[in-house]
Amino acid sequence: MAKTIMVVDDSASLRQVVGIALKGAGYEVIEGRDGVDALSKCTGQKIHLVVCDVNMPNMDGITFVREFKQLPLYKFTPVIMLTTESQESKKEEGKAAGAKAWVVKPFKPEVLLGAVAKLVMP
Amino acid sequence: MKNTSGFDSKILLPFGLAGGGALGTMWAGWGAWGWYTVLWSAALLAAAAWSVRGAAASALGGGERAMIEDYLDARERFGDAVLPIWCRHIENSRTQMEEAVADLAGRFSSIVDKLDDAVHVSSHDSGKGAKSDGSSMTEIFSRSETQLGSVVTSMKSAMSSKHAMLAKIKDLERFTRELRDMAEGVASIAAQTNLLALNAAIEAARAGPAGRGFAVVAQEVRNLSSRSAETGRNISNRVGLISSAILAASQAAEQSSEQEDKSMVSAEGMIESVLGDFRRMTDALVQSADKLKQDSIGIQGEVGEALVQLQFQDRVSQVMAHVRENMELLPALLRENRDRYAADQVLEALDGQRLLHELQKTYAMADEHAVHGGSNHAAPVAAAADEITFF
Repeated sequence: MAKTIMVVDDSASLRQVVGIALKGAGYEVIEGRDGVDALSKCTGQKIHLVVCDVNMPNMDGITFVREFKQLPLYKFTPVIMLTTESQESKKEEGKAAGAKAWVVKPFKPEVLLGAVAKLVMP
Repeated sequence: MKNTSGFDSKILLPFGLAGGGALGTMWAGWGAWGWYTVLWSAALLAAAAWSVRGAAASALGGGERAMIEDYLDARERFGDAVLPIWCRHIENSRTQMEEAVADLAGRFSSIVDKLDDAVHVSSHDSGKGAKSDGSSMTEIFSRSETQLGSVVTSMKSAMSSKHAMLAKIKDLERFTRELRDMAEGVASIAAQTNLLALNAAIEAARAGPAGRGFAVVAQEVRNLSSRSAETGRNISNRVGLISSAILAASQAAEQSSEQEDKSMVSAEGMIESVLGDFRRMTDALVQSADKLKQDSIGIQGEVGEALVQLQFQDRVSQVMAHVRENMELLPALLRENRDRYAADQVLEALDGQRLLHELQKTYAMADEHAVHGGSNHAAPVAAAADEITFF
């Protein structure tokens, strides 16, 4: 059975691009437009990994990860931050929120897939 | 704008006198009176400044003030009118670009999916796929070849049996010859028996009445020999008929066998020919599937590169959003500038650094900082494409 990955990004094109890479590798993808939208979709289904942008309207990625990790069902679900931000201070914020990896856009599909394969829950 | 400051001799004169007195007092009284002198001088300077401010305000005529206010009103209206439209255009362009790139990415996705399907179907049809359900072209070919091989083998086996049967039929001819010889033997014995019976009859006649009984026996023996001769002839005739029939059947079977041999050779040749055509077709199909697969891998690589390039839309979109948000601050800045003038009658120059500072706070990417710092064209972050940090 295909594993499910949630992609959270305010850019529709980025969601498409990430979705193409993930679906091509056999994953199922659910999308969130921002932190609020993504949290509303965390309704109990199994999510094996989250790929999340940082700068988003309504709720930014760091806040989303913090709140996502508070949900008992997703406490151990790994999160990859996928962002244009490359400042160390931002990375530290992501790490503190509970992210497991930080990938800088523009990403190569194989780089993202490598990180996903390494972290995705069994 | 030269009148906006309004500093003419009427203003400068009292300020100069008060300021000069204060500085003179400071210089002269420092040694003797210390801090008291300094405080007094500061009070004098403040008084001078206040008098100048009041004088500056009062120095502007009503027409000049009205002109300045008109100018500030117009400037504010300009900001209110122009900036929202500029921002809407930028936002509209940004949205259109995002939708177009999302659509483009979707089409790439569709191309890759269709290509995958084509490769899958082609690989399956040609039998090059990983999974096999026995319906691929090469599998069908292999099965057909085996089945047709079995048919040919069965036919050859049948032909061999037929040849064996033909040999047995030919053997029957030998038996019929023997039977004919035996029938001729019977006829010969009957002839000799008849001759013997004739001699016995002659001897019986010569014996007179005493030989009458013997003559009867001799006659019966002659009758028997005649019947034996007749039976021998019948047997010989029947054997002749059977022999002819066997010969005819044997010849017909031989002709049929030769015909079947030819047909068999012809059928075998045709099967080989059909299988050869089929083999060439499946080989071509397999080669075509291989090429399609290689091309697919190449295209997927190209699409992968395209996906990396498409992400620059996200970066451009972010930059445009940052600039638009910054532009949206300008009307408020103009309003604030006007309010300051209304409150203090002080006409301040617009502070570009405030806006630039706000803009700088929104930057997320290194190239935004680089462009802000004066670079005309920040290098694309190719190296960043490989950047990944695990925590």
